[in-house]
Amino acid sequence: MTARSAPDWLVELQGRFGAVIRTPLDRSSGALRATVSAYAPAALDDSLDGPRRPAAERLAVYNRQYWFRLFGVMQTAFPLTARLLGHWHFNDHAAGFLLAHPPHAWDLDRAPDGFEDHLDGALGEGDMNDALREASRIDAAWRRLFRAPATAPFRPTAEDAARLLDARLVPSPAVAVVVERWPLLELKATLAGARGESAVALPPRLADARWWALAREPGGVRHLPLEAREGELLALLRRHTVRDALARLEATCSDAERASLPMNAQRWLARGVERGVWCGLATEPHTGDDQGITQL
Amino acid sequence: MPDPLITLSTDAPRRVAAALARDALGLGLRIPHYGYLFEHWPEVGYFEVISENFLGPALPPRQRLDAVRARYPVVLHGVGLNLLGPDPLDEAYLDALCRLADHVDAPFVTDHLCWTGTRGLSHHDLLPAPYVPELVELAAERAAHVQRRLGRPFGLENLSSYVEFRRSTMTEWEFYTSVVRAAGCSFMLDVNNIYVSSQNHGFDPAEYLRAIDFSRVLQVHIAGHTREPDGTLVDTHDHPVVADVWALYASAWRMGGPFPTLLEWDERIPPMPDALAELAKARAVRA
Repeated sequence: MTARSAPDWLVELQGRFGAVIRTPLDRSSGALRATVSAYAPAALDDSLDGPRRPAAERLAVYNRQYWFRLFGVMQTAFPLTARLLGHWHFNDHAAGFLLAHPPHAWDLDRAPDGFEDHLDGALGEGDMNDALREASRIDAAWRRLFRAPATAPFRPTAEDAARLLDARLVPSPAVAVVVERWPLLELKATLAGARGESAVALPPRLADARWWALAREPGGVRHLPLEAREGELLALLRRHTVRDALARLEATCSDAERASLPMNAQRWLARGVERGVWCGLATEPHTGDDQGITQL
Repeated sequence: MPDPLITLSTDAPRRVAAALARDALGLGLRIPHYGYLFEHWPEVGYFEVISENFLGPALPPRQRLDAVRARYPVVLHGVGLNLLGPDPLDEAYLDALCRLADHVDAPFVTDHLCWTGTRGLSHHDLLPAPYVPELVELAAERAAHVQRRLGRPFGLENLSSYVEFRRSTMTEWEFYTSVVRAAGCSFMLDVNNIYVSSQNHGFDPAEYLRAIDFSRVLQVHIAGHTREPDGTLVDTHDHPVVADVWALYASAWRMGGPFPTLLEWDERIPPMPDALAELAKARAVRA
């Protein structure tokens, strides 16, 4: 361990410098500009004028770099959301999020963590805003897939099968379950690698919601279509024991669906195992969030 | 539908040796080059990776790194050490860095003589500090600690900077060389950064180079930058290397070559063959 701490004067100088860096950029001109008049006089006093620029304009280089770097990271992390909003409006939401949640980890890729929740609260009502919420959940699910560690899929033993009903299936971090009411996964694929900052049109709403399992495989991320009830079951299984999940699903079924549920449920569970949707069996109750699921 | 970004040929040969030739030419490993790289495996002396991109548990980056490492030596270049930050070094971060360095058997590891965050916040930029003897001691003690933890050579990179502090009592090169000497570590000398700062602050880059003990240079970085309308240079790594930086590189080579040379290109990244052609200019420049 290194025992030495930074001197107090350095900590204070860095605090002033950090405040300058995080000063929001001004949007009123239609472009993002540093507002040097907002910098604290003490921060300006720390710095010297240069051969080409006064101290404030030199500090502004760092101020702009901070925001543009983070906007780039946010756009990369939420590409579908960014293109549905257009980068100008997306950056406005991103700035609001980053002011409320400034990065604190050395891992720059963690800076966008939780943006989907921020956006959920920031958006109003209406179809477009609901589609944006859905897009941000899909982007977030995609990010989690990429960041997931290597995980062995759950291959139940005879002993597991015996205790399956009262246990909870542990979702694999390499599989995300998403639901879409607009064809957003298709749009996301279309936009992959495409350049552009302007807003793209929201495609027409689907007649019925579509459920997908997004599975990270050695060759890429695969979109596996799910039957609607299958998707709902996978969502319930993230929070409940198998017995509870099945009971809750059954409670929402029509008589016809209820009749075929035992056979279908068995088929869906087997398919889930085959697709590596789970990585284990747990007996403790669910305590985490619903990562990997976009809520209807 | 497969996502082409993570498609990867996995028929890796047995790992090549980790050691670098002293005059090796390397390239910063960047995602836009993966497609070409994993198909053609071009001749490159080595790759430098941004350490933080591979410190987490995520599988796809690790798979790519392993595929690259099987065919090329890999050195680590960090941006998150926060050597001059207000808080003690993050030992958990160092643990992960040590594991990664061991995993790729890195010939050396480098980071920057700078701070990147304060008061629990990370600014994700390489920020300068005042150049004063008190901070030489702080930086040297921390750099020596990093090198001990790594158990392999550790190099500090000089920054591009846009501000100077009223509190400074030393030149940048006096500060830099004092830290490296006191820490017993090495220089990760970026000649583009010397040039950018020299233009922004009005010093002679040749004087900077003359202060460097080239026996302690682990690697030299070259890169492009952007010139703003008022003449301020910004270290954007988004252009080819300018003639003045090539000239500075040639001077460095005459003064202290051979040393491994690495081209960084981070924005507006050209196709890999173009980046490699830019890197190959180094051979002609130093001939």
